[in-house]
Amino acid sequence: MRLEHRAFLYGGPEEFLAAAVPFLRAGIEAGEAVVAVVREANRGALRDTLGDDARAVDLYTSEGFYVHPVRTLKDYQRIVAANAPRRVRALAEPVWTGWDDRQLLEWTRYESLINVVFEGSGARALCPYDRASLPEPVIEQARRTHPLLLSERTGGGAGPGEWNERYVDPVSFGTRCDRAQRFDRPGDAEYLPIEDDDLHGLRTFVAERAAAHGVGARAVRNLVTAANEVAANALRHGVPPMGLWIWRDGDEVLCEIADHGLWRPGPLTGFIPPESALDRGFGLWTVRLLVDLMELRSGWDGTFVRLRVRV
Amino acid sequence: MDRYCSYPRPVRDLRPGDHAWLAYANEEERRHVMAGFVRDGLRSGEKVVYLADPDAGADAVPGLPCEHADGLLSVVPFDRGGGAGPEAALEALAAEAARAGPERYRAVRVTADLTWAVRRPGGLATLLDREREWDRLVAPSVRLIAVCQFDRRACDAAALAGLRACHGVRVDPNPEFEDSVLKIVRTFQPTGLSLRGELDASRHTVLDEALSTVLSGAGGREVHLDLAGLGFIDLGAINLLADAAARRRGAGPLVLDSVSPQLRTVMDTVGWSMLPGLRVAGVD
Repeated sequence: MRLEHRAFLYGGPEEFLAAAVPFLRAGIEAGEAVVAVVREANRGALRDTLGDDARAVDLYTSEGFYVHPVRTLKDYQRIVAANAPRRVRALAEPVWTGWDDRQLLEWTRYESLINVVFEGSGARALCPYDRASLPEPVIEQARRTHPLLLSERTGGGAGPGEWNERYVDPVSFGTRCDRAQRFDRPGDAEYLPIEDDDLHGLRTFVAERAAAHGVGARAVRNLVTAANEVAANALRHGVPPMGLWIWRDGDEVLCEIADHGLWRPGPLTGFIPPESALDRGFGLWTVRLLVDLMELRSGWDGTFVRLRVRV
Repeated sequence: MDRYCSYPRPVRDLRPGDHAWLAYANEEERRHVMAGFVRDGLRSGEKVVYLADPDAGADAVPGLPCEHADGLLSVVPFDRGGGAGPEAALEALAAEAARAGPERYRAVRVTADLTWAVRRPGGLATLLDREREWDRLVAPSVRLIAVCQFDRRACDAAALAGLRACHGVRVDPNPEFEDSVLKIVRTFQPTGLSLRGELDASRHTVLDEALSTVLSGAGGREVHLDLAGLGFIDLGAINLLADAAARRRGAGPLVLDSVSPQLRTVMDTVGWSMLPGLRVAGVD
């Protein structure tokens, strides 16, 4: 069953409720698993309007649900798996304020990835965008990441929506996101060459430097696990010389592993949740979950994997 | 001399002057450790004297067949039918060791399962007296290595404390693998492996081998992994565990008894459902 992924540009609380409520009620009537993730500001009004029907809806607040894009994908996937074979219907309103440009880019990419991760799930998602308060670029990206747009013409919240001409397929979209990444590195970054497949020394180096930069104990452990995995990948697929840099930039610690090889991660690498630890994609997907952000770049000069952790 | 503890030593590291005891959890552990003791001796041209029940048959000595056994192995039949005690048993061993001409060998290994001597009414006190005598004989020796075997299930706390006090060395199974970074040890109660140190891609092969050995030997039984002492495990090794569990589908499950904080953090992050077929103590 195909995913239905619709965006809905609303202009105020009434428009929001006029689309969201029929959408959710249609799911309840059809016996679907109905989930609503909405911003705190919309939560009370939605619950009041749903009345008794609110009990049939799993209600989350966006502020708690949208913290880390790859984790959010995982959480939605868990909801879909836990309810199978029932269809899942989700009202899904991300958080678009309080992020820096890089984080905004990743949340935009997240909306695009929904189309891949849930492709065959049969899930129905309605993503409300507040036309009145969101910056124009966010609205603009919503048109590129949602294959369907909701409109009154096609039946409002309970209707199918209409095909969005400006939709961009997730691989092309991800490639554009990757191109927007900047990969400069300060001169005082500390460097450790990777020459041996015993990575004990690398783990000690990363743990000590990250802790010295003020990263907390749990985040250090996770960064070490992530850096070890990326370095092991470089050793397996890459070409020497290879090495690791670590430095602090503002409130982040960055750890970059580079080699001169041609393992070419695609724009979807590590984003698709694996079925289990047996899947080939388990390693890099886990790396993405363990750090705040993983960025990949491969070019004529090698492959670079950058791990970011907030202090 | 009475001691408060015996020094733990893997069976491969036993040396002349060691009066050691093995408190085995079950027959599997006993045979595993004693096979190492017998083979190590025979392969390095040492004399091996093994006390066995006369009706124990060909299976009496673990570690056989061994290509070097000719002339080096003496199986001493010992019949306790007449109510003979540990004194007679140890005398028979000592006599055979002496007859072999110890000076002709780099070392003479003697061993007996003395669990029956613990079980006799009032047997512990007699046994401990004899063990002290043996300690005076073996400890200063430059040739003798002695291993006294006991079934731990037959020993109460007093027996264990007494036996510990009169043996300078406690025999442990050989580690399946050991270097400066990682140690893998077989466990017998429960059947499984205990891992200490750090595990990354450079040591996947040794984990794979140790796992295969213990899994194939376990048949349909559960196999337990103790990972509490593993300071680091990489994602590739987690994949390897998942693979072992998947290959075991239908046989006894693979159980994670204890995990380190690092592994717990990883699995809490990705979800324990990423390890299907693996049972984790304390996780639903």
